[in-house]
Amino acid sequence: MATIDLIDLKKNYGNVPAVKGVNLKVADGELIVLVGPSGCGKSTLLRMVAGLETVTSGRLEIGGRDVVKAEPAERDIAMVFQNYALYPHMSVRGNLEYGLKNRGTPRAEIDRRVQEAADILEIGPLLDRKPRQLSGGQRQRVAMGRAIVREPAAFLFDEPLSNLDAKLRVQMRVEIRKLQRRLKTTSLYVTHDQLEAMTLADRLVVMNAGLVEQIGTPTEVYDHPATLFVAGFIGSPPMNLIDVASLSNRRGLDGLPAGTDIIGIRPDVLFLTPQEGISLSMQGTVELLEPIGGESHLHVRLDSSGQSVVLSVPGRPNIAEGSAVTLHARVADIHPFNAQTGRRTDTAVANL
Amino acid sequence: MQTKRTIFPNKFLPYALLAPQLAVTLVFFIWPAAQAVKSSFEREDPFGFRTTFIWFENYTRLFSEPGYLNSLTKTGIFAVSVTLLSMSLSLLLAVAVNRVIKSNRAYTTLLVWPYAVAPVVVGILWWFMFNPTIGIAPYLLRGLGISWNHRVDGNQAMILVVIAASWKQISYNFLFFVAGLQSVPQSLNEAAAIDGAGPFKRFWTIVFPLLSPTTFFLLIVNINYAMFDTFGLIDATTNGGPNQATNILVYKVYADGFLGLNIGSSAAQSVVLMLIVIALTAIQFRFIERRVQY
Amino acid sequence: MVENRPWLSFLTHLVLIAGVVVVVFPVYLAFIASTHGSGDFMRGLVPLLPGPHMLENYGRMLTQGISTAGAPPVSIMLMNSTIIAIIIAVGKIAISLLSAYAIVFFKFPFRLLAFWIIFITLMLPVEVRIIPTFAVVANLGLLNSYVGLTLPLIASATATFLFRQFFLTVPDELMEAARVDGAGPMKFFRDILLPLSRTNIAALFVILFIYGWVQYLWPLLVTTDSKYYTVVMGIKRLAATADSEPLWNLVMASVILAMLPPVLVVIFMQRLFVKGLVDTEK
Repeated sequence: MATIDLIDLKKNYGNVPAVKGVNLKVADGELIVLVGPSGCGKSTLLRMVAGLETVTSGRLEIGGRDVVKAEPAERDIAMVFQNYALYPHMSVRGNLEYGLKNRGTPRAEIDRRVQEAADILEIGPLLDRKPRQLSGGQRQRVAMGRAIVREPAAFLFDEPLSNLDAKLRVQMRVEIRKLQRRLKTTSLYVTHDQLEAMTLADRLVVMNAGLVEQIGTPTEVYDHPATLFVAGFIGSPPMNLIDVASLSNRRGLDGLPAGTDIIGIRPDVLFLTPQEGISLSMQGTVELLEPIGGESHLHVRLDSSGQSVVLSVPGRPNIAEGSAVTLHARVADIHPFNAQTGRRTDTAVANL
Repeated sequence: MQTKRTIFPNKFLPYALLAPQLAVTLVFFIWPAAQAVKSSFEREDPFGFRTTFIWFENYTRLFSEPGYLNSLTKTGIFAVSVTLLSMSLSLLLAVAVNRVIKSNRAYTTLLVWPYAVAPVVVGILWWFMFNPTIGIAPYLLRGLGISWNHRVDGNQAMILVVIAASWKQISYNFLFFVAGLQSVPQSLNEAAAIDGAGPFKRFWTIVFPLLSPTTFFLLIVNINYAMFDTFGLIDATTNGGPNQATNILVYKVYADGFLGLNIGSSAAQSVVLMLIVIALTAIQFRFIERRVQY
Repeated sequence: MVENRPWLSFLTHLVLIAGVVVVVFPVYLAFIASTHGSGDFMRGLVPLLPGPHMLENYGRMLTQGISTAGAPPVSIMLMNSTIIAIIIAVGKIAISLLSAYAIVFFKFPFRLLAFWIIFITLMLPVEVRIIPTFAVVANLGLLNSYVGLTLPLIASATATFLFRQFFLTVPDELMEAARVDGAGPMKFFRDILLPLSRTNIAALFVILFIYGWVQYLWPLLVTTDSKYYTVVMGIKRLAATADSEPLWNLVMASVILAMLPPVLVVIFMQRLFVKGLVDTEK
């Protein structure tokens, strides 16, 4: 049980900055997901917290204790790796016990914790097997088990699900969430998968190019993306970002804050029928209709600029490709941005 | 040079870990080698009281000495013959083993064990076979009208050491050729067969060219072997004789330095040998770099 | 095989059988000679079929040797060879594991220099630096000792490179997981890295055991006391006397005894042997 505080944490590789000053306060028992494209510095940040990367500058506290100079083992953390990093020559039991033995945990206590973890993760029958005799999902559980038995102040997850197939990934995602709720252990979780991030996180940290773009609950981040980057990164299909200058009909945009030159509209709030209240409408031509089951994605080329936008439409609309349509969006659903700063122009979003 | 993504932060531990290896290397490799280089530029007076620095005199003397030039020639003949004989026999056997399926392992086992026979023991085995009084080979050769006595005939002595040295090296070459053959994709062979090439044509046009990295590697290794690993073999069969006919460089450096006690000349010979090994090693490593890209 | 051609298969087996005969024949002849009495060599041609004196010859060589040859009984030399080959193999593996570990898992000043110093040993076989190396060993008072016989041969660039290569293939995360689990460098080395290197160590041991066993020049230089003779060098002394006295049977018995241990190692550990041989050359 612990808080994790990152204060202006920076990491350079030679002259190349990888993490450019991150501030983050993780509350006790909270699950924070670091999400961003590859190379954004999220893994480096996690590995700095783990003690596997040195800190170039800044402060790092776990449970109120400065750990910048501490060895990984002294930080009271446990880590789950992307490739699981199970010791291949040890049995599952050996893998679970290793960290405890190194800490001189009494035998009875080791046995109790291993049994408990095995029960929680339902890996009891696997305890005497070697990692190579396990399936991907089972290895994932053992890797989790190795973290659980330690009863650490914090769990660190480094893309733990990306080596699993799609179906198993969803299943394990749910299990990790349930497990974390049950154990109430402070957790930092790194992923590049925005869906995984949205479903798991108490709060999201969206990172890009070594900087934090936004910190907030998944709904906050989805409903009020602080920057153009977040707007484009979170949500699938991504938000449509349209240059205001390219619109021929700007009726309804008068009320937007000063400095707004880009507007964002989520695909699910673009409609083919006129909406009540003040709304924006745009002419376009249907390019492609993608039915994906319960809903369809409609790709429409705007007449005014030639830009393609996407709509999520319920069911399977009967629209021929090439037909002309008018798109409608309520002004209340429009996200205003400034291209220069890359930030929202309406409300400043609180970032800590 | 490559390390792990994360490394242990200890400052002194790596030096402690390297200490034994470096100590042995410095004391028994680098230091003696440096000594050899140093004495190759010096002359010691007959009583060992004084050494004089004489630049390259040991070297110029060495290369004008008929005995040394003879040794160079003999080494060349010996190394080339051993390499060719051993590699061609090994390639033949490797190709054959690669064709059989069931008895593959049994043949391999029967062919590879000479690797473990010491060169000096190899020498004794062949010396026994070719012993002019009781050996079986001279007996058979007499039937063909050839009189064999490698104690007198220098060419026969050379033939003996070439055969013995090649015999030992067959196993090594064989294993590497087999490994090389197994890495030639079977699909290429099949494609060539569909294109109408018979087995012999397929070998020379498809398999042998693809085997060239292995062949080149073995070429260097075999020259190295013939030049430096055959001391015991020469010592057990001919002692460099008769009349210097098989006095290859490594044997001569030993005989001159240890038995003849000519320190300056022996040191110069050592340095020449070092240069040869350095050249061979450099070629080998250049080649390995290329093979990585290949 | 792409097609089935009976005559080609026949030829293949013929080649292989001829090869096996060439490889085996010298040893067969030696074995036959070792089973005869010394009188059987007087007639001018070696016998080609086994004789009845095998046990007698081997027994004599193992327990007494040939007194005039100045070599001790073969059993003592076999013991020496075994001790020396094991010390060399274990020593080379131990110091190479440690140095490869230092080079791969640590960053420190002069790392590259250390690597090159080790690399240079490849270019300096004993044969090219006989006299100065002998002088060093003599000055250190190591002549006629197991230390003198083994220590100068124990540095190994090939073994170091082999382990370096292998360590580089061990996933980074394994070491990171161990660190998070509270293992320091030596604990990680012992608990994780050594067990993972098991096969490589075994394969290398086979090769290095043979390397140690077949050493000839070095033992020849540093031992004058027959107590320390290895079987490979002792045999040379026996053979030298055999030319004047017809003791072929006894010499060949010792030859067979000297060959047997490393050859058995190759035959019974063929897989490790091949792996070791191929790996060390990469």
